Amino acid sequence: MTQYVLRRLLGAIPLVLGIATIIFFLVNLAPGDPTLLLLSPGVTDEVIQQMRENFGLDQPVHIRYVKWIGAMLTGDFGYSFTHSRPVADVLMDFLPNTLILSASALLVAFLFGIVLGTIQAVRQYSAMDSSLSVVLLFFYSMPSFWLALMLILTMSLYARNVWGLPIYFPASGMMSTDYEFLSAGGKLVDRVKHLVLPTLSLALVLMAGIARYMRGSMLEVVRQDFVRTAHAKGLPERTVVFKHALRNALLPIITLVGLYIPFLFSGTVFIETIFAWPGMGRLIVEAIFQRDYPVVMAGAFFFATMVVVANLVADLLYAVVDPRIRYE
Amino acid sequence: MDMKTLTEGRRMGRQLLFVGALTAMAACGSEPVQRPIPGVAFCQEVLPAVEAYVAQARQANPVPDDPRYGGTAVLGSIGELADGMNAAVSSDYSATQHQQFVNLMTLIDYDENLEPRPYLAERVEIAEDNTSVTFHLRQDVFWHDGEQTTADDVAFTYEVVTNPLTAFPNAAYWDRYVQGSEGVEIIDDFTVRIHMEPHAEFLDPFRSLGILPEHLLGDVPPQELKQHPFGTQCPVGNGPFVFYSHSAQDRWVFEANPAFPEALGGRPFLDRYIYRVIPEQTTLLTELLTQNIDVYSGVAPDQAQRILDDANTELVDFPSRQYVFVGWNARRLQLADPRVRRAIAMGTDRERIVEAILQGYGTVAHSSVPPFHWAFDEGRIETIEYDPEEAAALLEEAGWTDRDGDGVRENAEGVSLSISVKYNQGNQQRQDVAEIMQSQLADIGVEVQPQVVEWATLLQDINTPELRNFDGVVMGWVVEFKLDDMDLFHSDRIDQPFAWSGTENPAIDRLLVELGTAVDRNMARELWAEYQNVLIEEQPYLFFYFPSRLIGVSSRLENVTMDQRGVWLSARDWYIDPASR
Repeated sequence: MTQYVLRRLLGAIPLVLGIATIIFFLVNLAPGDPTLLLLSPGVTDEVIQQMRENFGLDQPVHIRYVKWIGAMLTGDFGYSFTHSRPVADVLMDFLPNTLILSASALLVAFLFGIVLGTIQAVRQYSAMDSSLSVVLLFFYSMPSFWLALMLILTMSLYARNVWGLPIYFPASGMMSTDYEFLSAGGKLVDRVKHLVLPTLSLALVLMAGIARYMRGSMLEVVRQDFVRTAHAKGLPERTVVFKHALRNALLPIITLVGLYIPFLFSGTVFIETIFAWPGMGRLIVEAIFQRDYPVVMAGAFFFATMVVVANLVADLLYAVVDPRIRYE
Repeated sequence: MDMKTLTEGRRMGRQLLFVGALTAMAACGSEPVQRPIPGVAFCQEVLPAVEAYVAQARQANPVPDDPRYGGTAVLGSIGELADGMNAAVSSDYSATQHQQFVNLMTLIDYDENLEPRPYLAERVEIAEDNTSVTFHLRQDVFWHDGEQTTADDVAFTYEVVTNPLTAFPNAAYWDRYVQGSEGVEIIDDFTVRIHMEPHAEFLDPFRSLGILPEHLLGDVPPQELKQHPFGTQCPVGNGPFVFYSHSAQDRWVFEANPAFPEALGGRPFLDRYIYRVIPEQTTLLTELLTQNIDVYSGVAPDQAQRILDDANTELVDFPSRQYVFVGWNARRLQLADPRVRRAIAMGTDRERIVEAILQGYGTVAHSSVPPFHWAFDEGRIETIEYDPEEAAALLEEAGWTDRDGDGVRENAEGVSLSISVKYNQGNQQRQDVAEIMQSQLADIGVEVQPQVVEWATLLQDINTPELRNFDGVVMGWVVEFKLDDMDLFHSDRIDQPFAWSGTENPAIDRLLVELGTAVDRNMARELWAEYQNVLIEEQPYLFFYFPSRLIGVSSRLENVTMDQRGVWLSARDWYIDPASR
């Protein structure tokens, strides 16, 4: 097992370096140039030349590549053109915001997805099953940005201004403008309130998918012999479902978690934009528009590494949850 | 000089910035409050000094007994304040506004008639022969860390922005000034003289250039200024609001400066002013209507009615200093003849387009001179009006006839009058312009193909002199009060990035040079009228419209004045209606 992990990790090194190389050339050879964005009438050629020099863009691409790879291997991702700060610092500012949002979205999505899927499987073909199917399909087929706008409309604007409900949610940001003046409890409530709408926008769509998986997986398990045996020996329904069936039905779901790990870090651009959430997705997309090469490259490199790692984790999880699988 | 690309209409803000890792306990009011201090040595040194100064200034200047004082106002807008308060490197509209009216101070500002009036300089002396300007500074202005603002700061700022190594974005401001340290003379601690050759509107640059603190930035090599933490992590200004904190793509927090000179209005009414970045306009509108923000800057024309309908919000609109146009590439065979360009202008119903796209919040443009400008004189320019028949006749005259009956005109060699019009992705208004043109011009036998291109790629296509990969492009410029079209239309600049049209017109060349040196406005007015008429005749651009700037304001925010001078013009006078606090 240890050997297997080591082998996979060693194999990942050329993979990640290859990805880094492709990213570098893709980004640097794309049309557009950061200094062109700053160009305006009255800017002389010398100014642009000076900017290019200040940004280190006056050197040929292959020299820049060698320098970049060299610096990156020592953990130095360079300086952001637009943030005027080291790239690593910029990423570290945005990463926690994204983690908060996607972790809460995944938590909600998996929790409710598993519960709903289980209910549907246990009560297969009941009215409950069909109506849940309709609702879940509704969410599943909804683009999350549209759902986000509808949530803002109903749970923020209408809830407050039209229906006059006592509870409504802020439509943007991570915290109120008077956050610093709140008590510790007030701060927590404030944070949670700001999390509700973006979390729902992301989670409802994911949840629908997970519930479908869960229903299918559970249905397969309940038909198996050991479940019938459990019923036959007179165990109560609850014990059969939760102790015997659910545990086995969760196996494929666990690998889903592995697939979603990269999402956890990359965030989602639409949701972050709509809710003004300062996360990784927005950071990278804005950096692409600004041709902020160091941020784009570091961000893309980071995501690529996450995908490689997540794949490895998912493979390992298989072995952990299913003793039949062995890696030699 | 005086323009920058009009990027505010784009979905994505120009730039993003950031803030902090470490936090420190700081006292604000009676409650202990956490204030983030970025983990940069410069900030860790500077922000505590600001903290101490503000605390001491609060003691020395108790808040006047007036219910208008207090409270927080929040303004939301789609983009970051690019480069923050770093006046030496920034060109973003909102950032420059914050430098002028919020955190820093300019030597002069403009009154409601756009006439210069004293601000940081309490007196301005102009030499008889217009070869120098002498600024006598106020002696009661202090940087937010307690140092006094003196002539050294002004001289330092001037030297920095005229130094090519800084790469100050509007270097053309100083074309006719004596640049570098030779151009500036410190007479005494509070008097500074700047040398120049006589030229038009020479005071205008000092209206927008925020003065920077020499004692903090004096040792920074000019080429490193852009990366310096001063801009976005810990700016220290001398204006009505003190920087408190900034988190990138999220918010800027400013506090009232208790020691702002009484003669300039004293401490602002607000305790705090917050700038929030909210990149989606629907969200901005919701936040305004649910009173989470007090000001929504940059309302889309189709949102205006919603704000007017709401009892708790008001709509402010004023002429912005932008214009939208279609820039022609006259190097193309189809567009080389000015008659063709004039015919296109005649075949485009701009009145209707403005009504449709801007819902009336804007005016048709005929030239680069905005209607509010002193050089604008409607009675003296020959505008081109919508007249499809005349347009068709003009095209015939120029040799473009539909020879094969396919609805598109051809010239004698069989080249068809088909042009592509590019616009940048994510800008609905510009897309609308291109598409409406397509349908209107089809009527006179001109085929227009709208083409969407990503922003940075588009800039490369049109700005690279060797490339010029476009026929027409929907674009916008933001102008300063000092107008200067040299880079756009003078034939000397034809190999420079902004000579999009590539047209050469001796009359335009002559007028641009004369306008640049015309100190006397009365004389300049004549020249401007003449210039505009030649420009309309030449049609290097099809000028489209001057959009209004639309701002949604919560009715609880009082004393809000906004006009072409800017959105933040009266920020120091804003106050929250005490009854609604």
